[in-house]
Amino acid sequence: MPEIVLSNIQKNYGNARNAVDDLNLRIGDGDFLCVLGPSGCGKTTTLRMIAGLEHPTAGAITVGETVMDCVESGVLVPAEKREMGLVFQNYALWPHLSVEKNVAFGLELRGVPKAERKAQIDRVMQTMGIAQYRDRYPSQLSGGQQQRVALARMLAVNPAVMLLDEPLSNLDSRLRLEMRAELKRIHDAFRSTIVFVTHDQWEAMTLATRIAVMLDGKLQQVGTPTEIYDRPANRFVAEFLGNPPINMIELSSGGLLSDGSARFLEMYGANRTATVGIRPESITLSAKEEPRDPRDWSTEAQVFAILPTGGSWIVECVCDGTHLFAVSSSPPKVRAGEAVTLSARPPTVHAFGEDGVRIDLEGQPAFL
Amino acid sequence: MQPMARTFSGESTGRSFARNYRLRAAMQEPTTVIGIALLLLFGYLIAVPIISMLLDGAIIQQADQRIARQPGGSWSWYYIWRVFASPVSAKLLWMPLANTLVISAGAITGALLLGGALAWLITRTDLKGRRWFAAVLIVPYMLPAWTFALAWNTIFRNRTGGGQKGWLETIGIVTPDWIAYGKLPIILIFTLHFTPFVILLLGGALQRFDSQLEDSARMLGASRFTVLRRILIPLMTPALVSAATLIFAKILGEFGVAYVLGMPVNMDVLATSLYRSIASRGAGTAAVLAGLILLIGAVSLLIDYRLLREARRFVTVGGKGAMDRGVKLGRYQPAALGFVVAAVLAGVFIPIGVLFLSTLMRVPGLFELSNFTFDFWVGSNLATVGLEVGILRSPLVWAAAWNSFWICGVAAVMAGLLGAMTGYVAVRTPLRPLAVALRQITFLPYLVPGIAFAVAYLALFAEPLGPIPALYGTPFILVLAYMADQMPFASRAGVSSMLQLGTEPEEAARSLGARWWRRIVYVVLPIQRQALATGVLIPFISAIKSLSLVIILAAPGSDVLTTLAIHMLEFGYTQASNGIVLIICAIAFAGTWSVQKLLKTDLAQGLGK
Repeated sequence: MPEIVLSNIQKNYGNARNAVDDLNLRIGDGDFLCVLGPSGCGKTTTLRMIAGLEHPTAGAITVGETVMDCVESGVLVPAEKREMGLVFQNYALWPHLSVEKNVAFGLELRGVPKAERKAQIDRVMQTMGIAQYRDRYPSQLSGGQQQRVALARMLAVNPAVMLLDEPLSNLDSRLRLEMRAELKRIHDAFRSTIVFVTHDQWEAMTLATRIAVMLDGKLQQVGTPTEIYDRPANRFVAEFLGNPPINMIELSSGGLLSDGSARFLEMYGANRTATVGIRPESITLSAKEEPRDPRDWSTEAQVFAILPTGGSWIVECVCDGTHLFAVSSSPPKVRAGEAVTLSARPPTVHAFGEDGVRIDLEGQPAFL
Repeated sequence: MQPMARTFSGESTGRSFARNYRLRAAMQEPTTVIGIALLLLFGYLIAVPIISMLLDGAIIQQADQRIARQPGGSWSWYYIWRVFASPVSAKLLWMPLANTLVISAGAITGALLLGGALAWLITRTDLKGRRWFAAVLIVPYMLPAWTFALAWNTIFRNRTGGGQKGWLETIGIVTPDWIAYGKLPIILIFTLHFTPFVILLLGGALQRFDSQLEDSARMLGASRFTVLRRILIPLMTPALVSAATLIFAKILGEFGVAYVLGMPVNMDVLATSLYRSIASRGAGTAAVLAGLILLIGAVSLLIDYRLLREARRFVTVGGKGAMDRGVKLGRYQPAALGFVVAAVLAGVFIPIGVLFLSTLMRVPGLFELSNFTFDFWVGSNLATVGLEVGILRSPLVWAAAWNSFWICGVAAVMAGLLGAMTGYVAVRTPLRPLAVALRQITFLPYLVPGIAFAVAYLALFAEPLGPIPALYGTPFILVLAYMADQMPFASRAGVSSMLQLGTEPEEAARSLGARWWRRIVYVVLPIQRQALATGVLIPFISAIKSLSLVIILAAPGSDVLTTLAIHMLEFGYTQASNGIVLIICAIAFAGTWSVQKLLKTDLAQGLGK
């Protein structure tokens, strides 16, 4: 299976800001890459450029040995010759063709003999569980069934590269869960390279082998889901992932998180503004009078509200006017209005400089 | 992040390669080439005739050398002076302009009052049979306006017009000229014709109106009247103003009604004055008049466009509470019902009934059994000035029907196809200026009243032009003119259906390896077949009804149905003209009905729910 390489890709629609700006990305063989970012970040544009439906203003795209686009040398392979599979957010099934005809379209174009074609269509429809709908028209199917047809239509031609543009966002939450498992199964079964665009962090976390986070046309970070979650490259990535969101605390000398922050600011520069981020699940809640580990970053706070979510409890605390969230997996023993101590182990504290870029604390024994 | 090692050397050649790449991206598909071809075609069929016609008004015609005392072919203000300031300007321009304005003002007021009341009754009250009334009340708009003129003429005509007697005349009532002809009947007829238009526009706005807006005002203590004055009418203003300007623009180009009811008393409107100028071979004068009509029409539509854009701020999307419970009419129910029934009778049943009865009567208006006959439809050896046989047996009528059918048919098919192609290109081309140019040039005929457009075609195609022979006198000039005249609708239909289709069905086929031609044949056309059928049928109906284009462009002896009806009327043979008009009405009605079936929609849909 080929490797997709995007080199210095830029896309401009005639606005001041580039829709995609100097994007360099290597999508490896067999990767399930999720391109993650808020709407308007350029992720769909990137996907469409790989598909050949949009054309970069500068840069090059290669798949394996083949140069698909290269603005600088004038090479362009039209979308219909790229032999990639594409699934759209709203499926784009052809309303005038039955399910079977929709699925058969690609094979007919390739001139596959009828018997072989039939076998292949049957196999794919069986896999996707839509064989019983073969004579129905798209308008007679539910959203989830349409989604399966769209996937089957792509899978029928067995493409080496599959491009999926938010394919689950129009489904209800239950179906979405079901289809996520389906996609993971497809990835394992077909061993193809998948590029998946989404704005849903959970979708990205659960599906991807690697995640590429984008903002304002720029790539923020590429890595495995664990890397992205545990070692966010900047403030944006840290804040984009996680629910409830990561607690961001602006540091100034003294005040909040006094123990750890004093040492940190000493190192970073006392008159600069830095931010630390602590994920709610990394915060430990304890009664005010309990002894605490001097190495921990800790602060005193007041419980503001307790929000049960079923399996866990979100404890919202206020400290110097800042609201902090902690997540507890057992019923919290505190009540609203009580004073508590919030503490976090040093390895779970993320620090970001004035420019928002991650400051690595791992090499700093003073903080561990 | 993963910095790539791949960069490209050779900056000097890189630039031309990049240009090459962009060109390839734009020209990957034939869309742009087709677009440029369409632009050239429309330039030739739409822009050039109009420009050439306008030029006629600024250049001395050979025939006018002596009168103008200027050499032929030279640039001159002569025609502008003639129309605006010469001794004949009152008759050419100022009187017709004043008449047009008076008629428009009267008809707009009438249509807004009548249409407004009917729209309100249908959409916001518990009037009995609202659904049925909603469907019937819009029928007049499907028929040509001058149908009503013929019906009026049948009842009220007097000796001034000559020919056969009017019904009232037969029973001994002599109608004065101001009732039989002129502004009053024209105003009444336009009122009836444009009332459905107001019902559709205003009814739609009223239907979408969120009744929570009314409820909130009433909760704050406003009376029903205060709500009407402070909330409902201000919010409806955009729809009202829009209806008024569109009616005005349409009246400007309406020729038939003023021709039938104005000519006998020498009352001209702009359209008939223009017709007279052409009939008297005054191409220069006609050009100035046509240019003026064009200008007034364009300005009023521009105003409408501006107002509509302003009005977007007013868009009130109905939420859950939008379903109005409807005003209970209570004891006013019978009065309201009577009013609506009267409107239906006056707008639909009386005119059509009169026309039909008139084709069965030997002596108009003589209600005796012996006076009734089917001879005018199927008889032979008739002692009339026009046809010797009944209209259904007359070769002249059948020839005209065939002409109407094939000329309008060819024009409509071409308009539909070109409209679909325009839509495709305008939506898909990566070259924005091309898309904008195509949309604008195809919209241009909308600003040009039919009669002015006909003059433009006459000016251009009366003589051979390059490889194209003189088309005047052949049916082809009509085919082209009808087609060009229908392009505003056809291209809008094409654009909107392509926008609705979106790019994804085609992109999906593309990613599976389908080239452009295959995508068009297997994906785009099959999905668009309904829209395409509508894009052909609606221009066909509208062309079949059209009078103003064809009265100028049809060569003598090659009649279509509408011109034949007018000629029969000129002969004073009202039975035949009315009969032919009924045939046109039947075609128009059947056509509209089949469009509604095809689209599975209803013009009046939702109005009387």
